[in-house]
Amino acid sequence: MLSLLELRKSFGPLVAVDGLSLEVHRGEVFGLLGPNGAGKSTTIGMAVGLITPDSGRVTVNGVGRPTDAEVRRHIGVAPQSLALYDDLSGEENARFFGRIFGLSGEQLRRRCDAVLDLVGLLPRKKDWVKGYSGGMKRRLNLAVALIHDPPMLLLDEPTAGVDPQSRNNILDLVRTLAQQGKTIVYTTHYMEEASRLCTRVGIMDQGRLLALGTVPELVAAKGGKSVVVVSREGAEDELIESDDPVREIARVLGVGGGVGVREVRVERPDLESVFLSLTGRSLRD
Amino acid sequence: MNAVIAIAMKDLVLLVRDRANAFFTFVFPILLAVFFGLIFRGSGEGSGGKLTIALVDEDISKSSAMLVTDIRADTALDVMVESGEPAVLLSREMGLALVRRGKADATIIIPKGFGAGAAGLMAGGQMKLEGVVPPGRAAEAGLLTGKLNELAFRQMTRGFGDPEEMKQNLNAARKALAAATNVSPLQKGAFEAMLSSVQNLSETSRKQRDEAAARGEVAADPMEAWRPVEVSITEVKADREGPTNSFEISFPQGVVWGLMGCVTAFGLSLANERSRGTLMRLTTAPISRRQIILGKALSCFIACVLVQALLLATAMVFFSVKVASWPMMIVAVLMSSLGFVGVMMAMAGLSRTEGGGSGMGRAVILILAMIGGGTIPLFFLPPFMQTLSSVSPFKWATLAFEGALWRGFGPAEMVLPCAVLLGFCVGGFAIGVWGMRWTTRA
Repeated sequence: MLSLLELRKSFGPLVAVDGLSLEVHRGEVFGLLGPNGAGKSTTIGMAVGLITPDSGRVTVNGVGRPTDAEVRRHIGVAPQSLALYDDLSGEENARFFGRIFGLSGEQLRRRCDAVLDLVGLLPRKKDWVKGYSGGMKRRLNLAVALIHDPPMLLLDEPTAGVDPQSRNNILDLVRTLAQQGKTIVYTTHYMEEASRLCTRVGIMDQGRLLALGTVPELVAAKGGKSVVVVSREGAEDELIESDDPVREIARVLGVGGGVGVREVRVERPDLESVFLSLTGRSLRD
Repeated sequence: MNAVIAIAMKDLVLLVRDRANAFFTFVFPILLAVFFGLIFRGSGEGSGGKLTIALVDEDISKSSAMLVTDIRADTALDVMVESGEPAVLLSREMGLALVRRGKADATIIIPKGFGAGAAGLMAGGQMKLEGVVPPGRAAEAGLLTGKLNELAFRQMTRGFGDPEEMKQNLNAARKALAAATNVSPLQKGAFEAMLSSVQNLSETSRKQRDEAAARGEVAADPMEAWRPVEVSITEVKADREGPTNSFEISFPQGVVWGLMGCVTAFGLSLANERSRGTLMRLTTAPISRRQIILGKALSCFIACVLVQALLLATAMVFFSVKVASWPMMIVAVLMSSLGFVGVMMAMAGLSRTEGGGSGMGRAVILILAMIGGGTIPLFFLPPFMQTLSSVSPFKWATLAFEGALWRGFGPAEMVLPCAVLLGFCVGGFAIGVWGMRWTTRA
């Protein structure tokens, strides 16, 4: 669906994207993970034709470049910054961008109602956006990206700066869209979001793609061992790395019948561990 | 085209919903035009084209009283003969002070000896009058000289028609003739014959009037027929009529401020789109940069036309402003709108940020407005500034608007301002598209 081949982009001395290649398959939710400044937004910018790469190639649907008008009709973009008109209503925003994408008449009206209903804003469609909460604006941002019913969505940090409830709403919405067969490219620096949503993830840092695969594959390959944490009365926690945490727990509790053990828990490797092992630092550093 | 119209309509809605922008685009220019119209109204409209005259009578004679009556009856003059509270007859000093302070266009002084001079006309006497005008007012001086000659001549003919006064005048002339040593006896005889003839003419006319009165008729005064000079004055119709009221000056300026409001509002709209992130949506949509800027241009054009129409309607309905030529006015409005759309597009294309665009707006637009007659009417500016003003679209828009409003421009005269405004449009569009490519490039 989306093919990025050897993309490179510099802004002056800063190399934002350095030889990035990846393939996003039709119908998958692809997560692009990385800390702020990793090059995710620049990659999205090149994927939608907004930023011209210094070298490399972007292909959509195997045929066109994202700068071609026809190809753009296949892409919906929800930028990280809220790209909305505050002095227009939710419906007026949707209608405007629908017209920009060539919709009109009954089709436009139906699509407006459909996307506003999808994001739960139909009852508030006549309200000006300046009166919306942060979460509502995020959902409208997503609705506008869907107005022309594109087969592929590029969502750049769609949960940035929203409360937990709105975040869950957005994640549910993305899951619904994925079930409808949309191809979704999702950038985030929240690993749990990527773990919950993404079919595959690519981990970026300093403009380079460090790893690519499904979450279990990456965790298995780069996440390291599980850690069994044993807490005892009056003693520091004991950390035991193990490939088989169940056996390790049984061993701990078997010794002396587990006398003095207050708590035993298992810390499994996750994408954070993967990033740590790949870069030597945390995603949130 | 659908996308261009959609962008234009959206921008117009945003303009109207932004109260500050809407105020400075549509309301402020009207307030400004009314304000300046009221200020300009004080200069030259109050007297209805009459000369305001301070009249000083230092002679206080029968002749001077008749002249004062004649002057006060003249419809071309607004005459002040007294001043102060309680009112006193004007003295020479008071008359001069009124001119100096601009309260009067001129002072007429009837000096002492005016009556004696009138009585001695046949004996070499003169009716002397003095007029005082402010420095450099040649027109008023000429007008005043002509008016005083006319009034003095009327005074003289009145003397000829009164036999008693004429007899006294002729007797005084005979005495002077008898006493003259430089006149030969032959010349004295000829003058005496002429004086007798004049006396005979005066007495005959008196006799005819008395006989006619006895019959209950009114005889024609033979002196009435005596017109040594006949002056016929007709008004030539001006090719270009001047403004009939001050609002015809101030409303074109209001139009300029309205156009400036449009340029500022829409010139920043691309920078606004960029800062709020909507430009990213627009540039990733299946439309070209040219369509985006054309949408901005269309909305600005509509706003420019609307603001001019609104100002014109206000001027006509509330301030008695009349349009000399409607076809020319339509051309002027359309071309001014196009010219300022060009300015807006250049500004929009070159503004990367709202702050930068706003700063450029202030710097460039205000300077262009100032040198183009937006703040002070062009004809008040010194000659070099008037020459410099040709680089400003404000000058050409004002000229086109005034041309259609009161200058009486025909198609030939409208070509130059319209061509220049069209040039601003084309140049601005080119700069705007190039600038947008530059400012959106990454």
